[in-house]
Amino acid sequence: VFPGVRQAQWLTKTKLVEGLPPAVQGIMDNPALGLQELEERAKHMVSHARLWDTAEAAPRRERYCPMLFENLIHICRLMSGKYPSLSKRMLARNCRIAATWERESILLQVRGLSGILMNSMSPIPPVASKEEILATKEHVLETFYPIAPTIDLQEVNVYKELNDTGHMCPLGFRDGYPYSHLHTLFFLESANVRTDRFRPEQLRAKMLMFAFGNALAKAKALHGNDPKVLEQPIVVQSIGTDGQLFQFMVFQLNTTDLVSNDGVKNLVWIDSDQNLYERAQCVPEIKKGVVTKPAGISGFQPDTFKKFLALYLHGTV
Amino acid sequence: MAALGARRLLRPGRRWFSDTVPSAPSPPASPLYPPVVASITAKSKAAKSRRLQRFNQRVHEAATVEEKLRLYGKLQRPKYMVYPQTFALNADRWYRSFTKTVLVPGMPPRAAAAKPPVATAGATSETGRAPEPRAEAPGHAEAAGEAEVAANAEAPGAAKTPEPSAGVAPCPDIGELRSLACDALLQESFYQNKKRPFLYRDQDHTPGPFLTQLVSTLAASLSRHNPLLAASSLDLNPEVNYYWHHGNEVVVHGHRKGRVDPVRFQIDDNPHLQIRVPKQLPEVVPLESDLGDVPVIDHKPSKLPLFKKQYENKVFIGTKVADPCCYGHTQFHLLPDRLKRERFIKERLEDQIEVVYRSNGIASLFAWTAAQAMYQGFWNEADVTRPFVSQAVVTDGKYFAFFCYQLNTLALNAETIKNNPRKNICWGTDSKPLYDVVEDGNVKGFNDEVLLHLVHFLLNRPKEL
Repeated sequence: VFPGVRQAQWLTKTKLVEGLPPAVQGIMDNPALGLQELEERAKHMVSHARLWDTAEAAPRRERYCPMLFENLIHICRLMSGKYPSLSKRMLARNCRIAATWERESILLQVRGLSGILMNSMSPIPPVASKEEILATKEHVLETFYPIAPTIDLQEVNVYKELNDTGHMCPLGFRDGYPYSHLHTLFFLESANVRTDRFRPEQLRAKMLMFAFGNALAKAKALHGNDPKVLEQPIVVQSIGTDGQLFQFMVFQLNTTDLVSNDGVKNLVWIDSDQNLYERAQCVPEIKKGVVTKPAGISGFQPDTFKKFLALYLHGTV
Repeated sequence: MAALGARRLLRPGRRWFSDTVPSAPSPPASPLYPPVVASITAKSKAAKSRRLQRFNQRVHEAATVEEKLRLYGKLQRPKYMVYPQTFALNADRWYRSFTKTVLVPGMPPRAAAAKPPVATAGATSETGRAPEPRAEAPGHAEAAGEAEVAANAEAPGAAKTPEPSAGVAPCPDIGELRSLACDALLQESFYQNKKRPFLYRDQDHTPGPFLTQLVSTLAASLSRHNPLLAASSLDLNPEVNYYWHHGNEVVVHGHRKGRVDPVRFQIDDNPHLQIRVPKQLPEVVPLESDLGDVPVIDHKPSKLPLFKKQYENKVFIGTKVADPCCYGHTQFHLLPDRLKRERFIKERLEDQIEVVYRSNGIASLFAWTAAQAMYQGFWNEADVTRPFVSQAVVTDGKYFAFFCYQLNTLALNAETIKNNPRKNICWGTDSKPLYDVVEDGNVKGFNDEVLLHLVHFLLNRPKEL
């Protein structure tokens, strides 16, 4: 699926807001977290993933992208020393997720290995207030006339709609799973070859589609299959990276009524193209006897790590 | 003619001039001749030892640790590849003889301050907690030979509740940790939808992810009790390599036939999970302790079977030298499918099951601690001045065996081992199951003892912290 974010917005009936929601900003600005000391550790983790991890000269992206993610998650998890409720989270890898919905008489389905999930026992509280949700009624989704909105989507004959109860569990987990609320989805673009990786725009669209699919599956599991406006909106976060560039997204599902084009819309906050560091040199670059680029990590941006941590802590802090 | 005349003038004993009788020659300020040493390039034993001395001098004088490691492993020759996870019979005896290790069954005695007691749910009887390592006053830790099963270690005066250091919570709650462990197990084996396991890859399907989840969640929740964990670094699937010489052999065939060569070994290990810390774990027993005997095996290593190959001599702990977390804390090893218990039982080799765990523990931990020591600049000519301690847990998903290794000496090659009384020590337990069976979303027969052992391992830290 290669749609841009605008197309994904139309397909999921979503309104886009630039930047992260104020709740997450509030966590970032909270001085009690002690984010300053963590910056040093985060820099070490980046150096470890990009420079020190392997006995060869430099690790490849297939190795350093997951390693960087694991290191950052390790730092975030160690915060459960301060906030014990953080231990009510569980990471799940290699999950299979599927969701189906109808959009103006077109049946859409999103499926696949959606990367790494983080589930928690308690859901994230809604990020947007009731007024903002109602205000989305006036928002008009941009259409792409004359291009059909389903351009570049694969048309497939699906014989089993996976939302039905039965053997297939759309959420990827059986009933009774204690960590039943999806908290965050992580997407790692770790292919070595650049053409195998998603470009940032496509990655954001993929994140949006999967976040929507998961939220929709959860909504149908909680409230049934009837399309309606949700009393308790479901919030799902999503972080995508290729080892250097980070995309942050918070998605709030307000309605499962997706057939019509008006009414309450869903909301998504996207913070895109955040660099964690400028450059990681394993061997210093020397031109004509002068060191032009010294070895090490240069241009480390602590704000990106703060956003990562804030999204991790969102919901418990 | 001039030459004859010159010779007559110079005839000894004849004095042509009445100069003063020369006094006894004054002792020369510096030697007149350079020292008489063996040649560098000759084909003789003296020349060979002189070349070796020059090489050792070069390594001693290396400016950085990377340079030292580069020189140490510069010469490539065929070497035995030692695999920590091996099916060879009685491999742990062979590995102990290669690494000069003493195996002590049970767990080591620990000093009082390093281990807060864990609050168990329900009644806690002192004898009920006997199998775990017990708190002991530091004075008693000196007594060697007390490394037997920790039932000995119920020493009087043991501090049952040491004062927690500032900022560290006193007791982790075993009920909470048990629920974390059960949740991880259930998620991986029951709740999550997974495809069927690939052929002979059962370990990657369930026990692998379970171990990762268990360790990461336990380490995170125990980090408030152990500040060393809060500064730790968790590696997934790292690489650990070590290269060393031990003993002498005669080259059998080839153009170097007949020469006496050191026996070279290389361990290339891939633990499942590794925790590295910036501060070293404290020593368990003093550097010069003697807790047992090292087995001596008269056969060549190739009889084990071990095979030779020539490739890069790597020494690596999991990261490069520049990393500040350069000391090891705990490693976790997952046994592969080919070393399953059922296979050994089917071939009527039940006694070899424990051998697999032990050989994995000894070889992996020796490689890790020795590589850590080399990262600090020690090598077999410059032996360690403080012991290096690391821990390991070897598991196949259900059965867990715990090992603690103290490296006392790196000097294992033929010249340096002659006057070296020190031995490396490895404490190890037998494998015990963590649970009996997982059925219908319930874990049956959960064994708290194994979990407590794991928790004690993760809580291990230097005395100052």
